Amino acid sequence: MLCQILGQVKKHPSLIPVFVFIGAGGSGSVLYVLCLALFIQDVSWDRKSNPEPWNELGPNDQCKFYSVNVDYSKLKKEGPDF
Amino acid sequence: MACPFQMGLQDATSPIMEELLHFHDHTLMIVFLISSLVLYIISTMLTTKLTHTSTMDAQEVETVWTILPAIILILIALPSLRILYMMDEINNPSLTVKTMGHQWYWSYEYTDYEDLNFDSYMIPTQELKPGELRLLEVDNRVVLPVEMTIRMLISSEDVLHSWAVPSLGLKTDAIPGRLNQTTLMAMRPGLYYGQCSEICGSNHSFMPIVLELVPLSYFEEWSASML
Repeated sequence: MLCQILGQVKKHPSLIPVFVFIGAGGSGSVLYVLCLALFIQDVSWDRKSNPEPWNELGPNDQCKFYSVNVDYSKLKKEGPDF
Repeated sequence: MACPFQMGLQDATSPIMEELLHFHDHTLMIVFLISSLVLYIISTMLTTKLTHTSTMDAQEVETVWTILPAIILILIALPSLRILYMMDEINNPSLTVKTMGHQWYWSYEYTDYEDLNFDSYMIPTQELKPGELRLLEVDNRVVLPVEMTIRMLISSEDVLHSWAVPSLGLKTDAIPGRLNQTTLMAMRPGLYYGQCSEICGSNHSFMPIVLELVPLSYFEEWSASML
């Protein structure tokens, strides 16, 4: 399929920006969804051995994809133990 | 509050709403530019006597009209994400107020220090005093201190509702069985109106929200008088 794409690009060079943006957008969204699926503890994937992974979150776990000005390693636990 | 024939957003009362207003202006300007360009091109296409029946390919213009929209979208997405992250910043609220949606009124609980609860029903049109706003006034307003970060915890006792105050850029769903949180910071005192924003039955349009933002000393007097 890559040969086909390269062939088309040689004949119509204006297709390069299309492939760049579609490729970046597509792979970015797939990677983001994979990142969420693997690292976010909101979803229970294994009902037998880890039914509620959100109960294991500590104050130092970063749930957001990109943290602007919060240093998660410095936060302390404020509430009572569950 | 909204005025008749109002075309834009209400004046901003919180810093986030100000950011949203500017973002709306920025995005609307882009939309107007694109629409006027398209309208101009359509009008020239329809009024020209020139014809060209043998267009086979147009590499340069294709490159331009791929890259330019991508750049425009990035120019819209970056400020949008910036505001999204700004809304989620941790800001250490000094007061927590709980609001529960019911069919068809809101109830408020200020339980940080004492146990203060009250219901907030809309004032029916027949009982309005002169100068009051139809379908927007309530009997007990939500009095809050100005220029202080306030945490609002929102839920519902029966069906879905939504607690919205457009002037502060707030709209949070009230879902039975779930606790949603939003933070409120008003920059100036005054009365700020909102209406229930999730269909909840026959009187969905008749359960407004009125925030009365006052200086802290007035807020303390009011909460002492309400106990």
